[in-house]
Amino acid sequence: MASHGDVKHDYHLVDPSPWPFVGSLSLFLLAVGAVVLMKGIEVQGPLKGLLAHGSPAIFGVGAIGILATMAGWWGDVIKEGQKGHHTPVVDIHLRYGMILFIASEVMFFVAWFWAYFELAIFHGVRADWIIQGDADVMKAWAHWPPPNVETFDPFHLPLMNTLILLLSGTTVTWAHHALQKGDRNGAMWGLILTVALGSLFTFIQFGMEYPEAGFMYGNQGDVTTANLYGSTFFMATGFHGAHVIIGTIFLTVCLIRLLAGQFTPQKHFGFEAAAWYWHFVDVVWLFLFAFVYVTPKLAMEG
Amino acid sequence: MKIGRIGSAVAQALILTAIGCGFAVAQTVTGPVDGQIGLQPAATEVAEDIVKFHTLLLWIITPITLFVLALLLYVVLRYNRAANPTPRKFTHNVAVEVVWTVVPVLILVFISLFSFPLLFKQEQIPPAQLTIKATGNAWRWDYSYPDQGVDFASLPLSEKDATSQNRPFRMAVDEPMYVPAGVNVRMLVTSNDVIHAFSVPSFGIKEDAMPGKVNETWFNVPKEGTYYGFCQELCGTYHGFMPIEVRVVSQAEFDRWITSKGGELAAATPAAAPAAPETAPAETPAPAGAPGR
Amino acid sequence: MATSPSAHAGEHADEHGHADHRPSPYDPRRWLFSTNHKDIGTMYLIFAIIAGLVGGAMSGLLRWELAEPGLQVFNGQSVLGIVFGNEHNYNVIMSAHGLIMIFFMVMPALIGGFGNWFVPLMIGAPDMAFPRMNNISFWLLPVALSLAVLSMIVPGGSMGTGFGGGWTLYAPLSTSPQLHGGPSMDLLILSIHVAGISSILGSINFIVTIFNMRAPGMTLHRMPLFVWSILVTVWLLLLSLPVLAGAITMLLTDRNFGTNFFNAAGGGDPAMFQHLFWFFGHPEVYVLILPGFGIISQIVSTFSRKPVFGYLGMAYAMVSIGVIGFIVWAHHMYTTGMGLELEAYFVAATMIIAVPTGIKIFSWIATMWGGSIDLKVPMLWAIGFIFLFTLGGVTGVVLANSGIDTVLHDTYYVVAHFHYTMSLGATFAVFAGFYYWLPKMSGLKYSGFLGGLHFWLMFVGVNAVFFPQHFLGLQGMPRRYADYPAGFAHWNLISSYGYVITAVGVLVFLAMLLDMFVLRRRKLNAAENASPWGEGATTLEWTLSSPPPFHQFSELPVIAEEKHH
Ligand code: HEA
Ligand code: HEA
Ligand code: CUA
Ligand SMILES: [Cu+2]
Repeated sequence: MASHGDVKHDYHLVDPSPWPFVGSLSLFLLAVGAVVLMKGIEVQGPLKGLLAHGSPAIFGVGAIGILATMAGWWGDVIKEGQKGHHTPVVDIHLRYGMILFIASEVMFFVAWFWAYFELAIFHGVRADWIIQGDADVMKAWAHWPPPNVETFDPFHLPLMNTLILLLSGTTVTWAHHALQKGDRNGAMWGLILTVALGSLFTFIQFGMEYPEAGFMYGNQGDVTTANLYGSTFFMATGFHGAHVIIGTIFLTVCLIRLLAGQFTPQKHFGFEAAAWYWHFVDVVWLFLFAFVYVTPKLAMEG
Repeated sequence: MKIGRIGSAVAQALILTAIGCGFAVAQTVTGPVDGQIGLQPAATEVAEDIVKFHTLLLWIITPITLFVLALLLYVVLRYNRAANPTPRKFTHNVAVEVVWTVVPVLILVFISLFSFPLLFKQEQIPPAQLTIKATGNAWRWDYSYPDQGVDFASLPLSEKDATSQNRPFRMAVDEPMYVPAGVNVRMLVTSNDVIHAFSVPSFGIKEDAMPGKVNETWFNVPKEGTYYGFCQELCGTYHGFMPIEVRVVSQAEFDRWITSKGGELAAATPAAAPAAPETAPAETPAPAGAPGR
Repeated sequence: MATSPSAHAGEHADEHGHADHRPSPYDPRRWLFSTNHKDIGTMYLIFAIIAGLVGGAMSGLLRWELAEPGLQVFNGQSVLGIVFGNEHNYNVIMSAHGLIMIFFMVMPALIGGFGNWFVPLMIGAPDMAFPRMNNISFWLLPVALSLAVLSMIVPGGSMGTGFGGGWTLYAPLSTSPQLHGGPSMDLLILSIHVAGISSILGSINFIVTIFNMRAPGMTLHRMPLFVWSILVTVWLLLLSLPVLAGAITMLLTDRNFGTNFFNAAGGGDPAMFQHLFWFFGHPEVYVLILPGFGIISQIVSTFSRKPVFGYLGMAYAMVSIGVIGFIVWAHHMYTTGMGLELEAYFVAATMIIAVPTGIKIFSWIATMWGGSIDLKVPMLWAIGFIFLFTLGGVTGVVLANSGIDTVLHDTYYVVAHFHYTMSLGATFAVFAGFYYWLPKMSGLKYSGFLGGLHFWLMFVGVNAVFFPQHFLGLQGMPRRYADYPAGFAHWNLISSYGYVITAVGVLVFLAMLLDMFVLRRRKLNAAENASPWGEGATTLEWTLSSPPPFHQFSELPVIAEEKHH
């Protein structure tokens, strides 16, 4: 509604917006496109080429649509905030919303930890079960991690990454305190450091650690159980890594907004949301470090 | 819907019952009977317990449901607008609230008094004189008698064969599984591809056939006869077409059957060894439709 | 619970002015770009009706096939111009029926539809907390449904098109390269991802709305029970759906990227999928029923003209059902060989849920007790619900006992159980809510005769469909069979006849809608415009006009202290 005439409450009645619809359509294309990339859909007629295995067009259009939606939608949110629609009560909405979103993300990681723990803890039981004539599988399952898997030394790159993430947690807090005190320069440097540390983490994980892995993702390895270890490892740490990248982008956006002068000592929820997200990513990493890196190592040595 | 086919369905059911009465003397046939409303007759002690337990539960849940129905009918008749124009306004009554919390708890405790012993009986496998392994494949069962060295596949009869042999279509198989009467049988169940489930309702058993794992259950059927069961876990297109037929026969006949299958009569050693690693998988060629990895 | 706004707020009930500038319904942007909770709720309801008709038609194919032994439909011949090849296609239709009814009929109707419409109205809020996000929650559903339908017509595997592995998606059937190697299952997985995102976003929206947007004086303990029920429901969704998302992502990587999470030959564990699935799946069944509980509470109180009995007990019974619902999941897996101790634990935990549920059943009856009951159409559905849900619930208690579940698991006894809770429970609640709020949403009157006829036809029909299935299950009839031995013929035929009655009932429902919206269009008169149900209807939505203004509560109502409780 353009005019809010005699509205006597502080809630934000949002104007009609094309983004949800555009976003949904894009997600449809993205999903179909993903299946086309993975499998291809056999049809006859004009769509044949578009749907052939590996054809990237549909996925691409969907991805562009999603990116446009994100830019347009969140851009609108920022504009609305600047117009003063984010009254104190709306601010609380945003805070609750972010917390709940993070809660659902936590449950998503529960699934990966569940898989990891089930496979790790019950490997002995499974070794007794396995019957399908596969002596290799059985032998492999007698140990966790499986014998031909060379796990990472947790106190090498992973420890470094742990320290990097922990450090980035302090720099983001520094930025927050600076922002609250009106010290724009401090906030800027705090954010720049956080983004840099986040990027460093990503570089170390994907650029240095992963290529050194002594095990494979999926069926590339030849001994079956080895890639099971690899699968759980890469899914759990990989999804975490993806979240680090998302968080880094989120913080970068905040940095740009800070430089554009959009944050005030009183109102900077966009920044706080990014910081919360960053802390969440941090905590997940601590769990990964403790259970996926350190514990198996200790178990192997003990 | 062609009503004509129902006639033939009923006729088939009659045949099933008829086999039970006349086919072989002292031979019972146990499977679904058309129009019946209860559990199949129990063939094992466990199944008897299940039937008893079910009767007990039925005597609990039916009165509860009827009680709720009666209360509903009563309030509708007694407190409808015509009978009671001015509503009362009470919203609390601690006494009844306590009652309808405590009484269900007591009922549930009472149920568990029977539930847990039954569960223990099913899950604690007694020393067995015979071990049989059933392996699910999409879509047929393979049986193996590891101690006797007998392996075979069991396929459902076609409609033509079933009719001509006067045996129930969709239940009868070409090679039934044989067991001696009155013997503790340890049943190992596994699968070569997707999940199946080995079930014989009248024995009170159902065990999932999980690939990569051997599940165990047991039964002891005192009475000779033919007993039918089904695959009871969705396993793809022909999930409906992998029935189970168990022939419970005298020890002598069982021995004859084993010999006729080229097996050896093992000394009745209670198979105490752990099941899984010892029992080699049935050496059968993978069927056309079996998903292989 | 009865909540009445103070006199002060009442004055603004049928406000006019800017807020009533309702955009034209013929402007597509009103719907595509909507940020209005009532419009979005309406779209959800229309979507649910369409999905219900599709899912209902599919169940017609199932009942037709099962009417008698032999293959009637799925025998390679064409039905209505569509070829139904073989038993695989039966499985495809069966799986789609289950998924569509759950994800695209009951959930959109109860949570998206009624939740969107009435949670803001009942707590005295002008809209949802995130009106724009609300719209994407809706529009993701047609996307998910399209993906699911697409999945039915693209290659599934060696046996034909579509995915035929049941709504439970069990691995390794769903990962088998032979049986389901085609793109069909991948589309279905992504469909469920999308439906899940929709529900998660919707859940966040509801929780924030309910926590932050209650009108002054509307404390948590004064919220109507329907709002409570939605609150518990969306918490269940928020915490369980991401786990499902993880599980089906593992299916996706097992299928496409060579992982072996659920593949035994690679050391994986098929049972692990079941654990992950049911960790979501069991809370999900309470997601389907809890909003119904809320609706029934409102209706029973309204038509007994009496406040809800034991309000706090009712609210916390739902909370405890929700909490316990998270720790009973493996009662769906008794036959997988979990081991004695686990089974014993899950038996005990599962049975406990009967206690809070019993509290609800008896509190409804106590609400009616001493009341002045008006047997209007919504009340018929509500009373039908209480009885039929009890019947479905007590068979659940039977199944909870592992000892007897060994015989009944995966038989029609289970099918009967869950249709009594879902097709007779949840769906009756959908209709109860629909008839209760239809005048409020539309400002029109419906024919009580057609509504009553609809109720009685459905009541008789679904009972005829599903009661005999208990007998079939006890006799051992396995579920998910396209064909069965002659020993199951009798009750299957009766069940299929029951479907015919049910279908006539659904037609009467459509006739009712036609009569109401097209043929007669009778407006509520001035006296009954705010509340056609009289003084029993005490929640805030009945203080507004029917239909309510495009934006209500521009001045927030103030909720006065209640005398009772
Ligand atoms: C709306 C959906 C819904 C609801 C509410 C329920 C409610 C319950 N369900 Fe159900 N269930 C399903 C949907 C639902 N279920 C579905 C879809 C499946 C199958 C999934 C699949 O495999 O495809 C299933 C399967 C299922 C199984 C697995 C069966 C099997 O596959 O072998 C079990 C076993 O424990 C079970 C138990 C219960 C119990 C104990 C309740 C309880 O919550 C019921 C409690 C209610 C009452 C008991 C009645 C009222 C109480 C009283 C009047 C008090 C007095 C009563 C007593 C003391 C007994 N359900
Ligand atoms: C909410 C869930 C729901 C509902 C309502 C139904 C409704 C019906 N179901 Fe369904 N069914 C399932 C969920 C449901 N089912 C599930 C989960 C399975 C298991 C699948 C599997 O094994 O994988 C199943 C399986 C299943 C089977 C077993 C198949 C098999 O194992 O081989 C059968 C067979 O008879 C069947 C029949 C029916 C029939 C005749 C109805 C009739 O009641 C249909 C009549 C139509 C309606 C009642 C819908 C009317 C509603 C509307 C028109 C919408 C109204 C909306 C608003 C007012 C907003 N169903
Ligand atoms: Cu094998 Cu179902
Ligand atoms: Cu359950």
